[in-house]
Amino acid sequence: MKFSRFYFLITLLFLIYFILVGRLFYLQIVKGEYYSEISNRNYIKVFQSNPPRGKIYDRNGVLLAYDIPTFDLIAFPYIVRENYKIEELRLLLKNVFGVELDEKTQEIIRKNLLPKITVKKNLTQKDVENFYNYSYMLKGFYLEVVPKRVYTPEANYLPHIIGYVGYPTKEDVEKNPDITLNTLVGKSGIEKIYDNLLRGKAGQKAVLVDAFGRQKKILWEKDPEKGNDIYLSIDIRLQKIVYETFKSSGHKSGAVVIVDPDSYQILAALSYPTYDLQKFYEGLKQEEWQALTQDKYTPLIDKVFTGRYPPGSIYKPLVSIAALEEGVITPETRILSGSEFSIGKYRYRNWNKAGCGYINVAQALEMSCDTFYYQVGLKLGVDNIFKYTKLFGIGEKLNPDIEKKVAIVPNREWKRKVLKQPWFHGDTVNLSIGQGYLSITPFDATKIVVPIANGGKVLKPQILKGYYDNKRQMFVHIKPEVIRKIKIKIWNLEAVRYGMYLVVYGPQGTAKALKSVPVKNAGKTGTAQVYTYLTRQKKHGKWELRDHAWFISFAPYDNPKLAGVVFVEHGESGGGVAAPLMANILKRAYSEGVLSIK
Amino acid sequence: MKNVALEKLKNIDILVFGITLFLLIFSVFNIYSASYHEFSNLYIKQIVFVVFSFFVILTTTFLFDYRWLSSVSFYLYGLGIVLLILVKFIGSTVLGAKRWINLGFFQLQPSEVMKSIMIIFSANYISSSKLPISFKDFLKLMLFSVIPFTLIYTQPDLGSGIMLVLPVLVMVFLAGFKLRYIISFMLVFILLSPIVWNHLKDYQKNRILAILNPEADPKGTAYHIIQSKIAIGSGMLTGKGYLQGSQSKYYFLPEQHTDFIFATIGEEWGFVVSFLLLSLYLILSLRIFLIGKTLKDMFGKFICYGVASLIVFQSFVNIAMNLAIAPVVGVPLPFLSYGGTALIMFSFLIGLVLNISYINSKQSFQLYPENIGDY
Repeated sequence: MKFSRFYFLITLLFLIYFILVGRLFYLQIVKGEYYSEISNRNYIKVFQSNPPRGKIYDRNGVLLAYDIPTFDLIAFPYIVRENYKIEELRLLLKNVFGVELDEKTQEIIRKNLLPKITVKKNLTQKDVENFYNYSYMLKGFYLEVVPKRVYTPEANYLPHIIGYVGYPTKEDVEKNPDITLNTLVGKSGIEKIYDNLLRGKAGQKAVLVDAFGRQKKILWEKDPEKGNDIYLSIDIRLQKIVYETFKSSGHKSGAVVIVDPDSYQILAALSYPTYDLQKFYEGLKQEEWQALTQDKYTPLIDKVFTGRYPPGSIYKPLVSIAALEEGVITPETRILSGSEFSIGKYRYRNWNKAGCGYINVAQALEMSCDTFYYQVGLKLGVDNIFKYTKLFGIGEKLNPDIEKKVAIVPNREWKRKVLKQPWFHGDTVNLSIGQGYLSITPFDATKIVVPIANGGKVLKPQILKGYYDNKRQMFVHIKPEVIRKIKIKIWNLEAVRYGMYLVVYGPQGTAKALKSVPVKNAGKTGTAQVYTYLTRQKKHGKWELRDHAWFISFAPYDNPKLAGVVFVEHGESGGGVAAPLMANILKRAYSEGVLSIK
Repeated sequence: MKNVALEKLKNIDILVFGITLFLLIFSVFNIYSASYHEFSNLYIKQIVFVVFSFFVILTTTFLFDYRWLSSVSFYLYGLGIVLLILVKFIGSTVLGAKRWINLGFFQLQPSEVMKSIMIIFSANYISSSKLPISFKDFLKLMLFSVIPFTLIYTQPDLGSGIMLVLPVLVMVFLAGFKLRYIISFMLVFILLSPIVWNHLKDYQKNRILAILNPEADPKGTAYHIIQSKIAIGSGMLTGKGYLQGSQSKYYFLPEQHTDFIFATIGEEWGFVVSFLLLSLYLILSLRIFLIGKTLKDMFGKFICYGVASLIVFQSFVNIAMNLAIAPVVGVPLPFLSYGGTALIMFSFLIGLVLNISYINSKQSFQLYPENIGDY
């Protein structure tokens, strides 16, 4: 066939035609979904509006935390760079907002590295006015409302409990569709535990925008849902008394917890020393941060819920109940308790070298007689002590939301697993007086006294009194929750209570300081060894090596309305340090009417 | 009188006339869609141009004899050159380019006029030469092409320049220019291309590079390409619907009523109509090529070849550019892009083709020898 130029040309045209049809097919049919999605993203922008976060009040409505709106100046680099030369932009921002455009921001704008950037945070009133006055020449800028949390000075009495807020991580946002990178979320404490109540729901506004970022039409709008206001069970007046009393005692470190034994609501919880919550949330200077983290009294650690210490003698009421209930002793049983107790070649001393003589359980508590408990404990056996410890809820997260750490309660199994050693009688002897491997948090200590005060009920600890539910427009009270009842015969319980009464009022009581409290009350001191006797002798005097001082108490004696724990880290003496501290707290609380005498 | 008009209409080439009419009307709808949101009344102007173009087609078809152009083609060429030179002095500058002469009521674009003149001039030149065209004649014709090309290229308007020369090359090719010359020219062009590349302006280089890798600089040169791809792709099978194109309505797609009108159409009408439109351009030009092929009159034949290749290459290059497989050069889509001069000149060329087919169907030519070879 002769080569025809005409048909060659026609063939060429068909070839181009098929290439174009193929390309059209590829773009519209094969990749249609893909471009369709890009197209939607191109012109629909979704803006989040953060709702006000719920306020935090104490049980009587004293404000502890709230938030206020602040404004940030935001720029869309891809619009800004189309409209300004960098030099123009620098002058504009400097003249209108007094902002020096740094190198990094300039580069982000020049290279369009981010979809949006914050040009100036926390605008002043004047800045906001300027923004509106000059809006005609600010292309690609907008104001973003950024909520800021404010903590009242009262919140500084319990910064560990309140916690603080911050911005979520990318992972948080991926996990939770309700939040964005701009949503304030709880990072610790109450703010974190009740984040779901406090946070509210972000509003969304989907807007049609043009290529310059100008709003064309609102497609749909969802109003933000305000967060719920919550009311803590904390009585801030009591908290203040606790704080000030601890501070004026001159002791450097410790914890105080006061709860209502009938509901297990926490009325006060102090971890000392504290820190300035607002300053901490807004950001500390390098040296301030270092001072806080390197302080040997560990202000950043919440000692109430995370510190673990040997309880010492405050454990004795629990061991007493175990011994009575298991029939090892009766309330009347008298045991000769000397100045020391031996098993084989090992000798276990009484804290008081004089010994105690023939005493019953109430007197043993009064004198905090170690040798009495060595004997009782050995008869009772580690398994029974462990059983009652567990029954009381020690070592168990009764409220997993607020209890971050709980006691380490040793038994045979624990020792075999952790220390790879068998359990010895000596271990039981030590455990009987709250020493050895046992270590509990100050909050765990309330678990000893609450069932004794309320007649054997193990309740779920509460830090929330209630909250105002915005949706239902009603106040929701948090009801007490009984987890279990420990069956304690009434005469057994009374014997232990009476022993704790004698601790305060008995002739040989170890907490006479509490006598001055205007209501009848009861308690138990504890002085927990930090190091063994010999090391202690050698290095006595150094703060880190001193004994811990404990005191647990309930009041009024006849009808307990409060159960409390005082823990002074390396305070040296339960009777000499912790008990007077509790006495001062209670005296002031009763005299100021914060606690009622009746 | 009525009968005569009817008789005339019967003899008109219905495919060419029908497709052109459809494109003219379709253009008004799409220019409305691509510009109404800017509160512009461009579509009113387009209606005026379309109505005027329709008259141009009818008058050129019926009240005219194309053969007369043969005698004035040299003067037309001169007129075109004068207009192009005039632009240099009194042209109005838009976006850094001097392409228009303001006539008060109308912005005349001499480069569009020159495209039509060049086809007529070349057809006349080729038909009065001895075929197959000799190397000497070829060189002379090239010389005549280089002058307007240079004037247009320096406006600057590379796209119009290429569209001026391309039909001439097709005509020369069909006029039997020796293949070995063509191959040598191609070799020379390939060897010279690095030098040409070095003389391109940066923005022109960027446009060519952007085709190779548009995502490299999405906010710069390649912005058009990416946005056009998104607009067309998101149209999918049946489109977002007339007036519903989001890419074009919200300014993401620039120059949407001129060079990127096809992207607007692709977005709003989808694959079905875009495919149909592409096919219409092919059918229109094939039909004109075939009209030319059957003609014995060399002048008319080469006008048809010129017109057909101008329409098909200009539409294909424009669509290829919209589909992001050709560099962005300012080439409007025939009949559909906004622009008065182009619309009128294309209508004139269609009228000319209809006139050629009409006159040649009316009388059998005895003026030319039978055996004219495969041109």
